Amino acid sequence: MTSSKASNGKRWLIGALLYLGAVALGVGSALLVLKKAPWLNPSVQVGPWRVNLHAGSVDADMYTRASVAVNGLLALGRDETMYFIAAYDDGGQALRSNCNYRIQGSAPAARWWSITAYADDMFLFDAPNGHYSLNGDIAKRSAEGRFDFTSGPTEQPDSYWLPTPGKRGMVLTLRLYNPEPALQAAPQSLQAPHITRIGECQ
Amino acid sequence: MTNRSTNQRLWFYRGLTLLVTALLAHLLTIWAVPRLIMRVVLQGSAAQSLNMHNQAAFPPPVTAKSRAIVMPSPDLLYSVCVYDLSEGAVRVQAAPQLPNYWSIALYSANSDNFFVRNDRQAAGKPVDLWLVPSSGAPAQNQVPAGAEVVVSPSKTGFLLMRVLASDYQTDQAVLEAGRRTLRCQAAGTL
Repeated sequence: MTSSKASNGKRWLIGALLYLGAVALGVGSALLVLKKAPWLNPSVQVGPWRVNLHAGSVDADMYTRASVAVNGLLALGRDETMYFIAAYDDGGQALRSNCNYRIQGSAPAARWWSITAYADDMFLFDAPNGHYSLNGDIAKRSAEGRFDFTSGPTEQPDSYWLPTPGKRGMVLTLRLYNPEPALQAAPQSLQAPHITRIGECQ
Repeated sequence: MTNRSTNQRLWFYRGLTLLVTALLAHLLTIWAVPRLIMRVVLQGSAAQSLNMHNQAAFPPPVTAKSRAIVMPSPDLLYSVCVYDLSEGAVRVQAAPQLPNYWSIALYSANSDNFFVRNDRQAAGKPVDLWLVPSSGAPAQNQVPAGAEVVVSPSKTGFLLMRVLASDYQTDQAVLEAGRRTLRCQAAGTL
């Protein structure tokens, strides 16, 4: 009798643990998808940049909505703003704050643009010079209309520098405010800025 | 033989219920995450400290210390308001006479951006919105003359005003004057 009760209790305990494990698996897999594959959802890749076409939209599916909430809360729809995110350089290597990068491109077809460096927690780096981003108003352009700047732990000569202190993952975000209708309709037509690693990482 | 097949069936159903439980937990988490994050935005410590319940608040420019909301833009000056329609409509007004981009965006409690008005659309005219919940159509005699009725999908939500501030230090006076025209008030207090 006592042995049967103990056996029943053990069975209930195993059952409860299995269900708790199933819940943990479900919750854990959801958080993993949102953190590790933020732009897994309907998106377009242009060079190293990826744009989610439904960010900020009421038409967003639940994965897009949750992913944007975790990685870019309070985004605007693409008719207002397009957000291109780069987590890799042109060579396909994950961006790291302890590596120096040169970013070069042409002004995108939008009313206003900026490129900002974020640490892997999606907040700004503590840049000692106060340079968190480069935008269309301050970017110096060549005779061909191209801009050029660097990010990384070391200031490069003759370059606008976005410091990225520490040793961690990072992303670059290209924001386009009031993008031209042609670009909204075909994000793949963006002339994607190049991201090239300079030398060895520290 | 019968016992064995009954046992196999039992284990199959146990496995299936575990799988369904994991799947439901996964989907529920995906559904709940934006709502929970928005709840923190609407009711969390930042909202409390800025005192922005049916009232516009004007946080300082973004720096590396700005950690209330992910991916803040260092080139924008933000103004905010948590609107609450449980007691009735909320009126949003702004007349920022600024030369560059600005916008007023409204977000529902599930984080969707359901309304935006920018400087080009405003075309130099003041913004005047009469925000009402989807559950009740506003009596026309309550809507102030000239105000645009906007239906919010949820009773509470977030207003985010963005003002382009490429050079805040130089343009501080103009930018601050422009964004501080924002009003966000419950209709009952007007």
